[in-house]
Formats: sequence, C-alpha cells, structure tokens
Amino acid sequence: MKTLLPLAWASAWNRRLSLTLAALSIALAVALLLSVTRAREAAQTHFAQSVAGVDLVVGPRGSPVQLLLHAVFHLGDASHTLAWKSYQALAADPLIAWRLPLALGDSHQGFPVLGSTPEYFRHLGDGQQQGLRFADGRPFAGLFEAVIGAEVAARLGYRTGQQITLQHGASHLDAHHHDEDATHPEHADKPFRIVGVLAPTGTPVDRTLVVSLQALEAIHLDWQGGMPMPGLSIPAEAAGKFDLTPKHLNAVLIGLHQRTDVFRVQRQINAFGGEPLMAILPGLAMDELWHLEGSVERTLHGLAWLVMAAGLAGLVAVIVASLGERRRELAILRSVGAGRRRLLVLEGALVTVAGIALGMVVVEAAGHLLAPWLRTRLGMDLSGATLSIEALQRVGAVLATGIAASLIPAWRASRMALADGLLPRL
Amino acid sequence: MAPAIHIRDLRFAWPGQNAPCLTLSALDVDQGEQVFIQGESGAGKSTLLNLIGGVLVPRQGSLQILDQALDALSPPARDRFRVDHIGFIFQQFNLLPYLSALDNVLLPCRFSATRARRAGARPVEEARRLLDALEVDAGDAARPASTLSVGQQQRVAAARALIGRPELILADEPTSALDPRRQDAFITLLGKEVAAHGSSLVLVSHDPRLASRFDRCITL
Repeated sequence: MKTLLPLAWASAWNRRLSLTLAALSIALAVALLLSVTRAREAAQTHFAQSVAGVDLVVGPRGSPVQLLLHAVFHLGDASHTLAWKSYQALAADPLIAWRLPLALGDSHQGFPVLGSTPEYFRHLGDGQQQGLRFADGRPFAGLFEAVIGAEVAARLGYRTGQQITLQHGASHLDAHHHDEDATHPEHADKPFRIVGVLAPTGTPVDRTLVVSLQALEAIHLDWQGGMPMPGLSIPAEAAGKFDLTPKHLNAVLIGLHQRTDVFRVQRQINAFGGEPLMAILPGLAMDELWHLEGSVERTLHGLAWLVMAAGLAGLVAVIVASLGERRRELAILRSVGAGRRRLLVLEGALVTVAGIALGMVVVEAAGHLLAPWLRTRLGMDLSGATLSIEALQRVGAVLATGIAASLIPAWRASRMALADGLLPRL
Repeated sequence: MAPAIHIRDLRFAWPGQNAPCLTLSALDVDQGEQVFIQGESGAGKSTLLNLIGGVLVPRQGSLQILDQALDALSPPARDRFRVDHIGFIFQQFNLLPYLSALDNVLLPCRFSATRARRAGARPVEEARRLLDALEVDAGDAARPASTLSVGQQQRVAAARALIGRPELILADEPTSALDPRRQDAFITLLGKEVAAHGSSLVLVSHDPRLASRFDRCITL
C-alpha cells in the first residue's frame, strides 16, 4: 500500500479533470448528507435548551405540540386562553417550586412581546445555568418598562433608556414583512421604556420583548375587540389607577421541587375542575414534534443518499470508461508487479476520500458563514456543532460504499489480459 | 547452474486459431549468454519473447525459465516471477507517461523486494547510475517520461529492465525507432551493462546487422 499510494496518486493526477468532477459530485452528496444531520442536531439542541428547567407547560386543553410552540417558541396564534383564577388555583400547589404566567399576542417590529412577571428572569435560562443574565440594565419594575432579548437589541439597534411602542397582534415568523406589521394598530399612546437588555442565550428568549402582565392589561384598557374604542382614551399616567390584574393567560410554565412529582402534578392539572386544562411535559411534546419532523428528515436523507448513489455511479463510470485508454498503463503496472485491482480500488478510495473531505469542508465553511443568519432567522445555533458520532458513521458508510463501488472497475480490469495492453495490436 | 531458458516442443496459437503461429522444437540459453533471434516480420519473434516473458502462455510443450515452468504458475504468481527475474524492454517501451524517467526506472524495485535488494542499499543511486551509463542526464531523468525523445525513452526502458540485476533481459526490437548509428551505440551500451550484471540477454530483431555483437544467433 505504501508503494502503491504515490503511484495511484500520480496516475489519478494524470486524469485529474474527470476524477475531480467525480469527487465534486461526491462532495455535494456528502455536504447534503452532513447538513441534514447537522441541522437536525442543531435544532434538537436548540429546542432542548429552550425548555431547560421547565418541568411542565400548562395551557388550555388542545394540541400539546401547538401549546409547546406557542408557549416556548411564541409561534402561532393561541385560540384559547386560561383564566387568571385557574392560574391562582394551580399556583397554590405546594409541589410547585415556581410558576411563570405567560400572556402573548402583541409584537414589536415582528418580534413577539411576552407578558410575564419579573420571576421570568430568575427561572429561564439557556440550559447551562438557571436564570437569565443581563447584558445591560435590570428586570422591569415599573408599569411601562420592557426588557428585550439580545437579538432584538442587536437587530433593531436598541439600548436601555430608549422608548418603544408595541403593536397589537401577534408577530410573524418572517420579521422582514414590515408592511404586514404596519396593518396592526399601534399602542402609540402608551410607550415603553427599555430598562434591560438580556445576554444571548441561543433560545427564543433572544427574540422576545418581555413586559409585565399588568402593562399588557394597561395598554388594552381602552381597547375592545382588537381595536381602540372610539371616543375613549385613557392616558398612560391614569392607567395605574385601574385594576390591572390580568384576566386571561396563554400558558403557564412550571418548575417543581422534585422532578419525580411531575406525573402527579400533571394528573392534578389535567383533572382540574374549573376549566379544561392540559399540562404537558416539554420533552414528550418535543418527541412528538420530532416524530412529525422525522418524515421530512427521512425524505431529505433519502434524497441525500440518492445524490450519493449518483455521485458514486459517476465515479465508477469515470474509472470504467478510463480502463479502455488505460489498458497499456495497467498492463505496464502489472508487468512490473503492481496489483492493478488494488490500484483501481485505491484510486476509487482516493477520489471518495477527496470528495468526503471537500464535502466536510463545505459544510464547515457554510456552517461558519451562515451561522449568524441561521441564528437570527431560525434561532438555530450551529457554532457549537461538531462532528457527531452519527455524522462520522454516515461518512464511514460513504467511504465503504465508495470502496465497494471501486471493485467494479477493479473486477473489469482483472479480466483484461496482459498481452492486450503490452503488445501493439488493435 | 540452472539454464536461463529451457524450451522443448513449444507450440503457440492465438485464441480461436488452429494453425500455430509458432513452433519451436528446442531452445536453451545459459545464464550470462547473449542471444540474438533474427527473423522476418510475422515469423513469431515477438510471440516467442512474450512466451519467454510469461506475457503469453504456450498451448503445448515445456517452457522453463530458471528451472521454473511458467505455465504452472497462476497469473499473479507469473507476474511476481516476471518482475523478480526478468527485465523486459518492450518494442514500444511501455513507460508510464506521468512518472519521471527516474521513477519509471525505479518501478520494479517498488514492487519486487528481490529487485530492490539486488539494486543495493539505495535503489535511487543505482537508477541514477544506470541512467548515467545509458547517457540520460540528470535533468532529463527528472522530467516526465512523456516529454522525452524516443531515443531517451528507449534508454529509460533499458535502465528499467536492468535495475536490480534480473537474471534474464528480454528485448523486443529495441532499436527499431533509432537511426543506424544510434542503434549501434545502444546495442553496445546494453551489451556492456548486461555483461556487467552477469545477466542473460535475448534480443529479437528483423535486422541481421546486429547479430555480430552476440554470442549466438538464432533464425526463426
């Protein structure tokens, strides 16, 4: 092998154009295969981080996946709400360590606005630690104060002390369609002051503006049915005089003293008498989500393997086609005692390895270049992603298939008689 | 000492043909002997040489090289035997165009431990010495074989056959591409190197003028 490698390299270099094209098609397939794997892994990590520390998500009875997407990722519109009274009844359970009431529905420049309590900053985190860190400022304390996520601050160029107004209506995933947002009426009469900017977490918190539940009540005092009530205007200064206890919530996040109590508490909430409620384990709902996503991933994987098959078929075609013009070369090699079969398999392996290496470089480079974009647009963090065991297994499978495919030209070559190549005959 | 070549009642026909294109009742070549085989085109000279070199396999008869019956060996074993014991100078040289002249010369040493051992501690030095003796200068030795002139390619092919002192050197019309003066110089150089190594030489050519330099001349 040691003696054959430089020879195989020199021989392959002699036909570098066709072999490079074969390697490129393999690289493409490897890149496709690895990016499907990596995107799924990054998404899973991202999702797992987003619910770290949360034992139960409570909401009105319905689809668990929908509740999870709404409560944790602030995606979609909530069709139902739960009553504040129900929340108060649940909160009394001594097994529950902390609970975060969540109210959604407003937005700012396409980013969701979340109403909660200052406790929010103590209990959520990025999975590595409990509690959110502040890059600047402090949690909200006054009525019209807001804390913004790292990405909101970066994208909109906001700092503490700035005034912002909220828009009525939920955000849309694509934050670039500002025209759409412009159709939402503004809460222009009650501006908020930014008092805190959170450090990046790699979770949906980065894309969120957090205000108090009372503030959300206050800006909707003079509203009805999603529009300002004509002829009624309550100035911001007067809002504090009203009863600002929220009436409805979209979801409640719950942390327990003992994780082992989770099914007990879940049963209690599901059996709650006041209104139909549902408590979900975020991990289980996540699995359901992956199950839905799984078929998409399998399709993509299938496609990637098809591209791989095409790439390897191209490789075999290139090598087999070269055999005719290489009869002489192969015969010469045989006449000096070099194994032609091993040479051809080595050639196929070299091209496959080159394709794999190139594919991996492409994925790494693309991951590096696209990381900021993926982070802002999809909230996916690729920066920490490295080659997983699964990805290495896939690469190993590609190499094995490449070598197996190279056996075809090797078998063809071994059927060629020595005299064919060495003697000057037609 | 075993004879370099021992042939009895040899018959060979190309596949699909019944009429033999070569019949030879006996041929013996001792080690160290230099033999010239002369014959018209189509007389079977190249066929004989390729049979001796194990490129072709006889239909009938016995063919022993250094006491080894070639047709008793499997094709891979025949390939190994050839590279270990025989240096073949092909009519069309058969150099690998993408390797340098030096690397072409070193090819047998890469794949035969026997040849590498006999080429001395440093086969590269031996290859340089051979190329130098055959008047291929160091600059040309580093160039890809495809860029060399026909005469140079021929001498590179000769150096490749000679390296590692194989017991038997076979040369098939090695001078056909050269003018008469260069033919002469080449045969002289080849004969000298073969003699220095103590190898046997079998050279086939249609040109009877070369016969004078050989121990023995056989006409097919």
